[in-house]
Amino acid sequence: MGLIEDIHAGIKTRSLPTGGWAGGNGSQASVETTCYALLALHDRDSSARDNAIEFLSRVRNQDGSWPAFDGDDREGCWTTTLALITLRFINVRFTNFEKSLAWLLKNKGREGHWLWKWKFKTVDRAVQLNPDKFGWPWFPGSVSWIIPTAFSLIALRQSAACCHTAEVTDRIRIGMDMLRDRACPQGGWNAGNGIVFGAALRPHIDATAIALLAVSDSSGDPTAIRGLGWLRDASKDCSSVFSLSWTALAMLMHRDATLNSCIAKLNEAFSGQSSISNIEALSLAVIAMNAVQHDRNPFQAVI
Amino acid sequence: MNRRDWLITSAAVTGSALTVGLRRQKYSRDLRPKRSRIAILDADHYSDHLNEVIYEGLRLFNLDIRGKSVLLKPNIVEYIPEKPVNTDAQLIGAAAEAFLRLDAASVVVGEGPGHHRDTDLLLHETGLADQISQRKIRFTDLNRDELIKTKLRANYSGLGHLWLPRTILESDFVVSMPKVKTHHWTGVTLSMKNMFGIVPGARYGWPKNILHWAGIHECILDICATVRPHFVIADGIVGMEGDGPLNGRGVNLNTIVLCDDPVAADIVCARVLGMIPERIAHIREASTFIGNARNHEFL
Repeated sequence: MGLIEDIHAGIKTRSLPTGGWAGGNGSQASVETTCYALLALHDRDSSARDNAIEFLSRVRNQDGSWPAFDGDDREGCWTTTLALITLRFINVRFTNFEKSLAWLLKNKGREGHWLWKWKFKTVDRAVQLNPDKFGWPWFPGSVSWIIPTAFSLIALRQSAACCHTAEVTDRIRIGMDMLRDRACPQGGWNAGNGIVFGAALRPHIDATAIALLAVSDSSGDPTAIRGLGWLRDASKDCSSVFSLSWTALAMLMHRDATLNSCIAKLNEAFSGQSSISNIEALSLAVIAMNAVQHDRNPFQAVI
Repeated sequence: MNRRDWLITSAAVTGSALTVGLRRQKYSRDLRPKRSRIAILDADHYSDHLNEVIYEGLRLFNLDIRGKSVLLKPNIVEYIPEKPVNTDAQLIGAAAEAFLRLDAASVVVGEGPGHHRDTDLLLHETGLADQISQRKIRFTDLNRDELIKTKLRANYSGLGHLWLPRTILESDFVVSMPKVKTHHWTGVTLSMKNMFGIVPGARYGWPKNILHWAGIHECILDICATVRPHFVIADGIVGMEGDGPLNGRGVNLNTIVLCDDPVAADIVCARVLGMIPERIAHIREASTFIGNARNHEFL
């Protein structure tokens, strides 16, 4: 696979001297970007890989959470889930895993608090959501959103072998209910609610694919079936490497017949855009292609 | 002092403290210019003719752009076919070209879409990718830019500081390019509300929900006091009315508003939408220190 080798080389070259990778063109390492790049390079020995692991270890907060980027305030955020998924996949041992898990369990969408539950049930009806079904926010202090909830569910379910408690089971159940509650009427997921001000929102390809990774064992689930159906149609006209990569990972997980055409489109997207420089998109493409080739998906929720 | 006196005194002291707190000035500097200049241009469709319309419109202002780095901040939220929710790509391209013709050292289009994480896909769907490629201009995803911890120059939200993109902080000339729209929560979304897009998703999420919880009007004031747009090019050729920012119907306003003051621009645009600007909290408050509600000069 010449293409993967070329992308690997490109990713390694862009590694920062302080470890990790920047989300854009700057020199500030981002935890999200670093996780994707590490997953892309997981089977390669390189100083870029070692420095990135060192970076993730260095920026981890005392409470077990991860910040968004190098130098960020120390309050922790959704990237904690990505770091957990990544470090597990690349087999890196780190201490106090339970601390990270406890942080994740403590963190919940604001609508999970009784006061805000009451607000959403009585005063604020602009968005149609059931506040009893809550998940995780991007950052503490806001309500639940689809992508951080899906990543949290994946991280929690992957940790089941070592830390299967009643609390974990409960949060997984409520989180899954939240994903089902907020799906768009036509199938798939937008950033948050499927309906706002009485109007159905258009789903997003990446959010739908990531949510489908989280509900991967719900093969008979009508929400998952509708989501897959929508994703099959939407990805036909998509040329974005970022969205196609997430789609391929979801299709692989659900053993969907459109996986091959999705990978073909991904290859096509690379041949048509010689100057793709986005590390996240490049890394996700490698992750997807590797996952298909070796049938080993880092975002597989149930191990 | 008996118990009753003590209670009355306590209540009076608390009341005074609250009143002083509420009335205390919440901004550090009065940013209002002596006068604000506005040009209302007629345009009824999006095409290459906008290149000349915008260039000639900008020339009315005698802007000192030579050698400056210009950042165009359009409003790109989400792609919804048939709904004019975003600043039109053709207008953004025309503005970029006009600033280059005015000898800007560089023109960058910068945006941090509020809901959509796949910025490349959004640029492709909205046609902005074609404009950027054809006109050889650069795009910076403000959601993923390098961030600098920035003290806010007003304190309406109580946030104190925000992490803001280096690209916007280091630009010499920031141009807010809103779509002229109504908004469910803020009445309108114009040049000042458009500055929400400089707040990075990588630090505040998709959407930037923390700003909503801190108060939308309050955050608009804090952000615009900190990064006050130098100029406004508002896309009112086709505006949107209804439950914005996403739900609504297109309305032909046939207007582009150019202005060197975001408050004056928003007042004019709100009136174009048939709204009363004084009733919109952030516009009313912004007119006390960010820009002018009066002293408008129409070019």
